[in-house]
Amino acid sequence: MKKVFAFLMSVVMALGVFASCGPQQDSDSSENSGTSAPEFEESSLKLVLSTADGSSTDDRIPTPWYNRNMATNLMFRSLFIADSTLTSVKPDLADYTISDDGLIYEITVKDGLKWSDGEPLTAEDVVFSIKTAQKAASINAIYTSAFAKITDMVVEGNILTIKLAEPYASMVDVLAQFAILPKHVLKDSDPLTIDSDPFWQHPVTSGFYTIDEFKVGNYFTLKPNEYYEGEPPKIKKVTVSFVTDYVTAAQSGIADYLHGNATDIVEALRKTQKYTAYEVDVLFYKYFIFNMKGIDGKENAAMQNVAVRKAIIEAIDRAALTLLYPNASVLNSGVPDSYDAYNGFSYQFDAEQAKEDLKAAGYDFNRTFKICYYNNDQTSTDLINIVAYYLGQAGLKVETTLSNDGTTDLFTTRDYDLGFKGKSAFSIEEWYTEYLSSDALFANIFGGDTAFDELVAELFAATEEEKRSEVLRQLQALEQEKVYKVPVFTVGTYVFVSNRLKLPQDVRFCNPLYSCDLNFSNWEIA
Amino acid sequence: MCLNWSEKMLKFVIKKLLLMIPMLLLISMIVFFGLQLTGIDPLNFMVSPETLSANAGNIDALRESLGLNAPLIVQYFRWLGICLTGNLGYSFSGAPIAETIAVRLPYTLELAGYSLILSAVIGIGIGLISAIRQNGIVDYAGRIFAVLGQAVPQFLVGIILIQVFSIQLGWFPAANRVSPGAANPFWDGFLHLFLPVMTLTIGMVAVLMRYARNTMLDVLKSDYIKTARSKGIPEWKVYLKHGFRNALKPVLVITMFRIPMLIGGSVVIESVFSYPGIGLTMTNAITSGDYPVVLITTLIIAAAMLICSFMVDVLNALLDPRVRLGE
Repeated sequence: MKKVFAFLMSVVMALGVFASCGPQQDSDSSENSGTSAPEFEESSLKLVLSTADGSSTDDRIPTPWYNRNMATNLMFRSLFIADSTLTSVKPDLADYTISDDGLIYEITVKDGLKWSDGEPLTAEDVVFSIKTAQKAASINAIYTSAFAKITDMVVEGNILTIKLAEPYASMVDVLAQFAILPKHVLKDSDPLTIDSDPFWQHPVTSGFYTIDEFKVGNYFTLKPNEYYEGEPPKIKKVTVSFVTDYVTAAQSGIADYLHGNATDIVEALRKTQKYTAYEVDVLFYKYFIFNMKGIDGKENAAMQNVAVRKAIIEAIDRAALTLLYPNASVLNSGVPDSYDAYNGFSYQFDAEQAKEDLKAAGYDFNRTFKICYYNNDQTSTDLINIVAYYLGQAGLKVETTLSNDGTTDLFTTRDYDLGFKGKSAFSIEEWYTEYLSSDALFANIFGGDTAFDELVAELFAATEEEKRSEVLRQLQALEQEKVYKVPVFTVGTYVFVSNRLKLPQDVRFCNPLYSCDLNFSNWEIA
Repeated sequence: MCLNWSEKMLKFVIKKLLLMIPMLLLISMIVFFGLQLTGIDPLNFMVSPETLSANAGNIDALRESLGLNAPLIVQYFRWLGICLTGNLGYSFSGAPIAETIAVRLPYTLELAGYSLILSAVIGIGIGLISAIRQNGIVDYAGRIFAVLGQAVPQFLVGIILIQVFSIQLGWFPAANRVSPGAANPFWDGFLHLFLPVMTLTIGMVAVLMRYARNTMLDVLKSDYIKTARSKGIPEWKVYLKHGFRNALKPVLVITMFRIPMLIGGSVVIESVFSYPGIGLTMTNAITSGDYPVVLITTLIIAAAMLICSFMVDVLNALLDPRVRLGE
């Protein structure tokens, strides 16, 4: 009996292991073309999405309403298409006119547009998309801010009239980023969680391509959208692999297009010699914030004196910090020094003077100065260590904390003096919205100060360049007077394109987290 | 009442199985409340700080819809109730967890299964040869390999293998489990599995090899082996029938205990190889603050540990007459 039982147990265990081995084929996966993997790869544009940085999960296509990426740019179009500066647009799905007072936008959707399933793409889809975006949770704040100004939308035929409560200068630029989604497929989805709708495994698209196959955890492939009315792309297949590491993906040849700003990625990709690097100036701010006062009344007494805050900034050699990144430029306000609207002020690094200023301001050198940061990459850690060194030179006792949940620690727990964070901004306006007294996060450290509100509203409404520059100069003067937050530098990014791709001469890359005209239909595999 | 052996065994098995329920419940409570103690707000991982700044109303609605405003104990029992219905609930990203597990677990079991078989065959084989030919070439090579295999972290082995065989030589893919457009799924599967399986196998071979060698050496020194030899039984028969059979029992036990370690070890290896199993799912869930997925994946690993422990008990009871099954 014992032997029989032992035998049965062994068989069950062995069967258990073998039966569980091997994933089942997805029933909904389409059949492949029958070509071998290498042949398939050679004729495809190979893209990758990272699951390690939280920008994507590997069980669906990431929503284009958060950050754009090359894959979603090839599938989803917007009303207009921007150039590489993201501030000049031309018609895509629609054309537009704006009333003289800047309050009424008349958008004419092109005739005969169709979704990839053959259904017509109409102005109703645009209204549906905007209304859904107004209720969505996981959505880029540029849309939330812009669409909050909309008071009414009226559709007559293919003309959509949008009315605003007040002028919003960058509305057209924002609409050029906003992907229009199909109402006929998504009308029953919950707007709050629309980014996790099953739609994102087999989306109906409006762009060059539509989904061909989705293999959860592995990849998805795209095929040309037969209903795309523009110039069809020369590249007929696109594969998008989910990976955890861009560098390995690049080195092993599964990525034709990548972008990054971290030293390790840039250096590693340069070494491969398989890519052409394109330097792109983007508004990726790296900046310090001071924990001063919450709207709950909780106050950090040591940081109340503006002279202390200014001395701390001037104790740090920010130019030295830029050396940690391959393409960084020191900033002295939200407006880059190279812009016409920059007001010319600069913080001067002088450790001895900073020490004297701190003494004069009555700073208690016996207290521990706390720095909180949340980027866990080596470059950020090195940067914070250097900052701690400089502040130590100025006589401060410094303690640094790497946070696992930066938002909670910087804006709720707030057990720090100086925070370090990053912000990839669509425009300069985004930098200044953080000063608004209504900002749900920054009001917790800036005390809900209303000093910036009026100027920020003026900035958003400024449609003339001259007026905008004037407002920006006033805002810079105010932020340099208050010293609530101080930019360290902007980090430019690099776009890497595989040498096996042949790009048109006129291609100008934009911030890769947004969408712009790359003349993609003329990209070729060499 | 005097029970016969099979009835005793049945009772023993049922008792062990029932004991697993409170243990799993306890583990789930520890993991659930432990995660809450971290103070991490999952919404901070689901939406950007800019969105939190500008979209407070919608964020509050999302928090409510995810049930995050309820007291912790309510959240726990609500989650437990959903689990007991078998659908395992939803991740914070909206995906049904049961579907996620159904897709990912086979990938991990496949990886762990092949590693287990390979490491058992290689590890036990070389271990036995090392014992039989003590201080021979195989023994020395095996001992060096065993030290290296145990000393070098698995993720480093994985990175080295990727660098050499994937990036430099281009023989194997560095990521995923399936290639787009693969005409032969079996060959494609072999290519994708080879490096992660080897990585897991190397570490486990080292352990099994040392254990099998030492156990076999002990057995070969025992009296009954000397008796067998004195009876003139052929040497191969002494090794196989008397030595190997007796050395196998403890080796089987240690092998069984390595299964959950293989599944646990896959958490790191799957991340290194972008392999879409339960380990990568768990890593992504941790980095995105997705508590429901972390809970379920942790419970799966804990359940694997308990089941293996149960199987070891049963195997011991079957193979070792000294184990009392109880009345």
